[in-house]
Amino acid sequence: MRKQLKKFAQFTALSSLLVLSACGGNQAAGDEDGESSGGAVKADIGVISYISGPGAAYGEAITNGLKLAQEEINGKGEVEINLVIEDSAGKQDQALTAAQKLMNSENVTAIIGPTLSTEMNVVGPEADLNGVPIMGTSTTAEGIPQIGDYVFRNSLPEALAIPAALDKAIEKYDAKKVAILYGNDDVFTKSGFDTMKKAAEEKGLEILTIETFQKGQSDYNAQLTKIKGLKPDLILASALYNEGAVIMDQARKMGIDVPFVGGNGFNSPEVINIAGDAANGLIVATPWYGEKEDDKVKEFVGKFEEEYGKKPDQFAAQAYDALYIMAEALKNAGEADRDALRDALAEVKGFNGILGEFSFDEEGDVVMDPTVLVIEGGAFKEFN
Amino acid sequence: MLAELINPYYLQVASFILINIILGVSIYITLSTGQLSLANAGFMGIGAYTSALLTLNFDLPIIVGILAGTLLAGVFGILIGIPTLRLQGVYLAIVTLGFGEVIRVIFVNWESMTKGAVGLSGIPHMGRELLNTLKDFGFDPKILGLQNNQFVFLAIFLILLGVTISIIAFFRRQNRSRVGRAFAAIKLDEKAAESMGINITYYKVLAFAQGALVAGFAGALFAHVLAYISPADFAYHRAVEILIFAVFGGSEVIWGPVFGALFLTVMPEVLRFISEYRYMIYGLIIIIMMAVRPQGLIDVNILNWVKLKTPKRRQKHGTSSQKSI
Repeated sequence: MRKQLKKFAQFTALSSLLVLSACGGNQAAGDEDGESSGGAVKADIGVISYISGPGAAYGEAITNGLKLAQEEINGKGEVEINLVIEDSAGKQDQALTAAQKLMNSENVTAIIGPTLSTEMNVVGPEADLNGVPIMGTSTTAEGIPQIGDYVFRNSLPEALAIPAALDKAIEKYDAKKVAILYGNDDVFTKSGFDTMKKAAEEKGLEILTIETFQKGQSDYNAQLTKIKGLKPDLILASALYNEGAVIMDQARKMGIDVPFVGGNGFNSPEVINIAGDAANGLIVATPWYGEKEDDKVKEFVGKFEEEYGKKPDQFAAQAYDALYIMAEALKNAGEADRDALRDALAEVKGFNGILGEFSFDEEGDVVMDPTVLVIEGGAFKEFN
Repeated sequence: MLAELINPYYLQVASFILINIILGVSIYITLSTGQLSLANAGFMGIGAYTSALLTLNFDLPIIVGILAGTLLAGVFGILIGIPTLRLQGVYLAIVTLGFGEVIRVIFVNWESMTKGAVGLSGIPHMGRELLNTLKDFGFDPKILGLQNNQFVFLAIFLILLGVTISIIAFFRRQNRSRVGRAFAAIKLDEKAAESMGINITYYKVLAFAQGALVAGFAGALFAHVLAYISPADFAYHRAVEILIFAVFGGSEVIWGPVFGALFLTVMPEVLRFISEYRYMIYGLIIIIMMAVRPQGLIDVNILNWVKLKTPKRRQKHGTSSQKSI
């Protein structure tokens, strides 16, 4: 008993030390941000990202993209950005406390993130109330920039991506009848489905059937058999890549050879790794195409590969562009003031980044032309 | 000076701590009759969705929504409590875990009402609503030298603090009452308790319903503090998280889950400075704890030791018998 008590006491002492040391760290940061010295606008930008947990790969890509952009921007000397990165672990409450810390303890000028649309639904209104500009780089669900005047995003929303992919597919295959398949227990795939259904109805397509599946499901034969019997011209699938790849694999084995149109979550090279040849015929719209014949894109891919040893995905690319947009707005605002930055952000038009030409509309949402890609012969190619 | 001390970040963390403490208390109540229930995440979901939907669709005041959510969760507690009376230990845990999942799946599939997996956004925020109401009466937080958002979070924190203290006080009082004694007797030996004339059905269902009521209450508060809920918030991860509060802190005395919730909510925040490694440390702490103190951090012995070290207060009737348990 006594021994245990001693351990308990030691443990308490240790943990209180940790508490103290953590508190000490908070004060020092952000003392003199907003001061422009020697012409360069200095600003602290907070980042909320999904760094630990099952979706940590997204957070890693995003923070890598941001760090690369930060290095380049600071190197140019017009704007000096200091990134304050916080983890949200993909949870709304953690994202909210991280945001509170950034806004109130670190006094950041603006926030980039959080990673998930669910997190943005919680953090967005709070940032808007506090008057802190916040920009999502990976939040694609509907209604995000509509949260408030201070909420922006540079990630291509499903509402732009899916109709673009659908248009090209209809044109090429002369499609009239479609079947829809979606995961109904995930925010991402569910909101993708809502957009798909709306787009299909607007384009006058006949929806033969709407089938659902759940996260982690491994057998899709029931849904696919029904779809096969109805003979659609196209299959619209709102799925994340891990389920989506299995669906394509099983569909091809069953003899369904019509093209698939996917949402943003389906857009991953992993589909090819998992499904192999069965992945051929998947059409997705994406803001990011790494093989594009463009000097900026080539330079970015080269630098990213050199630094992190792998090819950048769309999350890294969107984050990279986001910081450039932020820097551009800071430069135009001339000072690290939250309101001035918001106004400058709202005025960003025709920004030329690695994703192509980019503008915000009056709500802070994205205006840009996505690239439509198709998988052919085991690789993503531009779809014409 | 007051204004500088009040940082919404700390208040936000404190609010989550208090909500988690209420959840910890909810699992402690059912555990105090020896029933291991994992349905608390489900009850929390019922409370949260009921309150959110009522305030969103019918413009009811938040307090009415919270009360309705709490009561509905309590009703479900009774409904689940009665048929599962015969089950014990692991079997009860499995059934209640199943119940929680059923609730979650209903939230996912009842799209016309709950918007499915996308979740409900724009739920009235407790603090902001309060501020707006007070402003109608001509109150301005500047009188207190506070910014609007400081006032909002201070208000939430104070409300939650008051509520949490009342809940803990109530259940501490109950523990020393006839009901608490009956709970303890049932936990130790059901057959013996029955032969002593304790109505086991009544007390077990009572404990279950109380647990559900408190969890539903916490859920309703959660909805109005976060202003956004989705079915994923009430999945089995949450059930396990609540259980860990009790297992980590100890489930013998009410201070166990309270401390567990406090410590386990503060830890990820304190460890923020090591960013991506923080959940590893968090896991490590739990493992070390379980290896060193399997009964949980706080038990009767620790409480007695603390009492010995603190200046002696007047001995109350009945406290001595508690020690011998």
